[in-house]
Amino acid sequence: MIRVTGLSARVPGFVLDRASFTVPSGDVGVVTGPTGAGKTTLLETIAGVRKHHAGTITLGDLDATALPPEQRHVGLVYQQAWLFPHLSVRANVAYGALRDRVVDDAMSMLRVAPLVEKPVSTLSGGERQLVALARALAREPRTLLLDEPFAAMDSALRSDIRAAVLSWASARGATVLLVTHDASEAVLAGSVQLRMNGGVLTVAE
Amino acid sequence: MDDASATDAVTRPLSRVLLAAVATLGGSLLVLALVLPVGTLVSAAGVTGIASALVDRDVVRSILLTVLSATAATLLAIIGGIPVAYLLARVPFRGRSIVEALLELPLVIPHPVIGMALLLAMGRQSVVARALAPVGLAIVNSPLGIVVAMLVVSAPLFILGAREAIARVDARLEAVARTLGDDRWRAVRRVTLPLARNGLVNAGTAMWARATSEFGAIVLIAYHPRVASVLAYDRYLTYGLSSALPVAAALVLVAMLILLVVRFTRRVERA
Repeated sequence: MIRVTGLSARVPGFVLDRASFTVPSGDVGVVTGPTGAGKTTLLETIAGVRKHHAGTITLGDLDATALPPEQRHVGLVYQQAWLFPHLSVRANVAYGALRDRVVDDAMSMLRVAPLVEKPVSTLSGGERQLVALARALAREPRTLLLDEPFAAMDSALRSDIRAAVLSWASARGATVLLVTHDASEAVLAGSVQLRMNGGVLTVAE
Repeated sequence: MDDASATDAVTRPLSRVLLAAVATLGGSLLVLALVLPVGTLVSAAGVTGIASALVDRDVVRSILLTVLSATAATLLAIIGGIPVAYLLARVPFRGRSIVEALLELPLVIPHPVIGMALLLAMGRQSVVARALAPVGLAIVNSPLGIVVAMLVVSAPLFILGAREAIARVDARLEAVARTLGDDRWRAVRRVTLPLARNGLVNAGTAMWARATSEFGAIVLIAYHPRVASVLAYDRYLTYGLSSALPVAAALVLVAMLILLVVRFTRRVERA
């Protein structure tokens, strides 16, 4: 479960204003909205990598409001992937993994295995997103925060990978919050669809 | 082609040629200004002079003292400076500009003035000197004094360079590492520092090079034991320019050699 109550955060030139919503356990919440609306800020604040100045964040049965990111059990995947360029593909995926087997499973599920020999700097945008997704899943997070993580993939791969990620989350009871510009992904929302505009969040349940 | 565009077509290549000529001339004069004095000094000292300086026990001792003191000062700056550089690069706080200005201060103050300030703050009658005396340490005329002077005048070069190197590593890489289980320090150690490594090495090399060439602050706080710059100055005052030249030239060659070794090592590492 992701429960956010009155969450406010300030970033230069932008304010996230008292966002409140709940995504039930194991469900998928979808966030849409124009560029610069505050979607990434919302995800970063929930992950704890961006400070908030008001409100509470509950992740599962954990009051995460004051917890550092490493104790929130979240996986955060950005559109730009943000792979560690000084590490190999496998070292990226294994970065936060607690078990070797999960690394192999994540690489196999997300079709990363054929990429292990490639230097990270030579991967295409879509390949980088696959590695970033595998890296997040290999940590086995209870909450997945996905910021347009399929955007650089071609449409066939995108729908396969999206299905694989959501089925992985569903099998483990992980809650997903997915930011997207893609109208076809908006329909994936379980019980919660959110729209951000100018830092203000509206909920269409 | 009308008259105006025909004139443009002629004047554009002309202005480019003129610009290239001015740039070449300016660049050559600058290189000459940098190389000429040092080249003249080395050639005036002569091979025999330099060779005799390199077996002169006082010269060897002073070069070793200079190199070791500069290395100690650089290591101290790395240990203490990386956290400060990280703070300046990543954490917005009130008074950051004041801290940055204070760090830049030693770069603009004449170094003899820094030497005077060190004498006042750490001289024989100071609180610091009295606190160190029971453990047998002294600042004035001691290797410790040399390290302190080198640290004060050149650590800002490392800290400011390290700040830039850390700031160039996108904070989102650290953010991702935090969500993957790292606390802040572990994320910095595993992601930020390795990615900032080149910049950190450059900053460390610049600081070390600046420390080895320090004279103004050291000569006031620790005339003895003599570092290479003080020894060259001392020989000049005592015996005149011709006696100081081999020492100065030996120092130039040793510094050049060390810088070349650092660059070569880094090239091999990159390859």
